[in-house]
Amino acid sequence: MKKLRFFIALFMAKLATFLLKMLGRNATYMPGEVALKISKDFLGHLKLPETVICVTGTNGKTTVSNLLTSILTKNGYDVTNNSFGSNVQAGIAAVLLQDSDIFGRAKKKIAVLEVDERSSLLIHPYIKPDYLIVNNIMRDSVKRNAHTDFISYIITSALTEKTKLILNGDDLITSSLAPQCKNRMYFGLDAEKPEVSDKPFLRDIVYCPDCGAPLESEYLRYNHIGRMYCTACEKKSPDRDYLVTAIDRENSFFTVDFKGESHTFTLINDNIVNVYNSCAVVAMLTILGLSPEQIEKGFSQSKIVKSRFDTMSAGKLKITFQMSKGQNPIACTRCFNYVASIPKENKLLIVSTDDISDNTNESENVCWLYDCDYSIFSDESIAKIIFTGPRCRDHLLRALIAGVNKEKIVLCEDTDKAVSLIDPEKYTDIYVLYDLYRQEDAAKMRVQFKKLGEGTK
Amino acid sequence: MTVEILFSEIAGLYGDAQNAKYLELCLPDAEFIYTDICSEPYFVNNTPDIIYIGTMSEETQRRVIEKFRPFKDRINELIDGGTVIFATGNAPEIFCEKIDYITEKKEITGLCVFPLTVKNDLFKRYNGKVLGTSGDIKVVGFRSQFSFIYGDNSSYAFLQMQRGVGINKESKFEGMRKNNLFCTSCLGPFLPLNPLFTEYLISLTGTSAEAAFREEAMDAYKKRLSEFEDPKVKF
Ligand SMILES: [Zn+2]
Repeated sequence: MKKLRFFIALFMAKLATFLLKMLGRNATYMPGEVALKISKDFLGHLKLPETVICVTGTNGKTTVSNLLTSILTKNGYDVTNNSFGSNVQAGIAAVLLQDSDIFGRAKKKIAVLEVDERSSLLIHPYIKPDYLIVNNIMRDSVKRNAHTDFISYIITSALTEKTKLILNGDDLITSSLAPQCKNRMYFGLDAEKPEVSDKPFLRDIVYCPDCGAPLESEYLRYNHIGRMYCTACEKKSPDRDYLVTAIDRENSFFTVDFKGESHTFTLINDNIVNVYNSCAVVAMLTILGLSPEQIEKGFSQSKIVKSRFDTMSAGKLKITFQMSKGQNPIACTRCFNYVASIPKENKLLIVSTDDISDNTNESENVCWLYDCDYSIFSDESIAKIIFTGPRCRDHLLRALIAGVNKEKIVLCEDTDKAVSLIDPEKYTDIYVLYDLYRQEDAAKMRVQFKKLGEGTK
Repeated sequence: MTVEILFSEIAGLYGDAQNAKYLELCLPDAEFIYTDICSEPYFVNNTPDIIYIGTMSEETQRRVIEKFRPFKDRINELIDGGTVIFATGNAPEIFCEKIDYITEKKEITGLCVFPLTVKNDLFKRYNGKVLGTSGDIKVVGFRSQFSFIYGDNSSYAFLQMQRGVGINKESKFEGMRKNNLFCTSCLGPFLPLNPLFTEYLISLTGTSAEAAFREEAMDAYKKRLSEFEDPKVKF
């Protein structure tokens, strides 16, 4: 009966895929939804590719799965992957059935699947991955992700010992996942060790996961990413099998030590989170049997991202746009830090991080602002901050509580008017931090900046 | 004045830790004692004027209950003596009789201050807003939780709800109050979001103090209140 339901589901989903494609529409989610509606355990009946690699974690899963897919493809592998689709159950069902025959048998030998960490328990009972890569686990959206104990719990409960883990060895939450999986490899960074660790504003792990005693850190790069050890038991950040020992930012290279040898690869994006991502990719591909030369061939053919910023000039004005994921305190704090660290003076910031859909017949939950480190705005290089959007009063209060001088702050509820408040003779170095869903506002600002800059030539 | 902030290193999720910071700004002359989970609480041998504890993970919640258990009588003594104790998010659950962790298949006895029980289900996250009154003060708040509290709290609720759900989806009464122990499922920066309630809470210690950045806090509070009272705004 179950089998019959599966074949009906498969047929209907394939039909949906066909029709969507005929209409020129995206078939990366809906067919999966159809299949799962008809057959709840649809994923369990599919004949999967010989090798299934899943990638999960808080930040960087898309980057890692895209890089893996692209390097494998450049080396002649035919890969099933969901990089253009969704990373929840229906998205994964959609992509697997697209690459399967009419009996539900995989047509490709290898799958690289990005898995939403919260969906692990709905996916892994059916898709037991051969390999699971976990980049990091940190605080994310209050509403959806709750806390890191929850994310660890669901990933750990979802796995069986069959899965081989490739884990960030510099993240004690990640490296402590799923102790039932004995086959574990760790990657990490030794290059550019911070000499002293500042006390991070947020730390998602403070006590030993084994015995509960306080953890000490040798150093921390950001949040809890770094090297830690327990003050009472043997627990410590694990030794890393794949270790980045050098980063050459000038020439865009990074060096990874593994199996007693050093190998150098092209670094396509030099921010530290991405160095971790790249090291995870080197580890996974090496485990799959690719040679360092094959891996480098893939990296070197990828486009190098020189800047995380999108900049424009208008007359004397230099404006930098930075997408800053709202509701994600760690990502936002990192953006704040980055802007503050740029070696320039008299910066003006426009902060537009409110989620517009959460403020349309809604009133956005502002808890996350209090997990963001607003004290960064006290940095001397930041002369003026314009908080825009419906929650501008909340940003102001948050900033005052963090000790930011009120004189620096201007409120502008109507985002469209923010640019008109800037005196172009006084401020020429401008930074716009905007939420993922406020690209339209950012686009409008570009036009306004162009005009504003004209007068400064 | 002495304020004890309990376990803020692990019981301050979702911005809750900033309630302590806000109290510091409201009470610049008070002594703040931050007790970590490995140390003995200050309240065991002393009587602070205010005690605060915020949101935590389920695992931490179990650890906190075990930490408190030997001091159950002392906690009751403080509550009966009128010490101001403020608990946000899932910290109130500690004061209930029993927590049933459905997903994790665990059950634990609480401190039994209130004849209520808790059901926690990691597959069901509830996100919502709160608009209610505590006495004549209007209170606004946000909730994100895996658990609901069950039992009849109607005679000792913290908030009469105007909009949003109470201790569970069928209830119109949010949180609990016993003397000066205030329990709410609202989480995050509850005190900065509610300057009037902050002033009231402080006044219960016998001191009067203005909410920090009162003007700006009131502006943000009034704006939110007008939104929460607007029937177009979803709850
Ligand atoms: Zn330990």
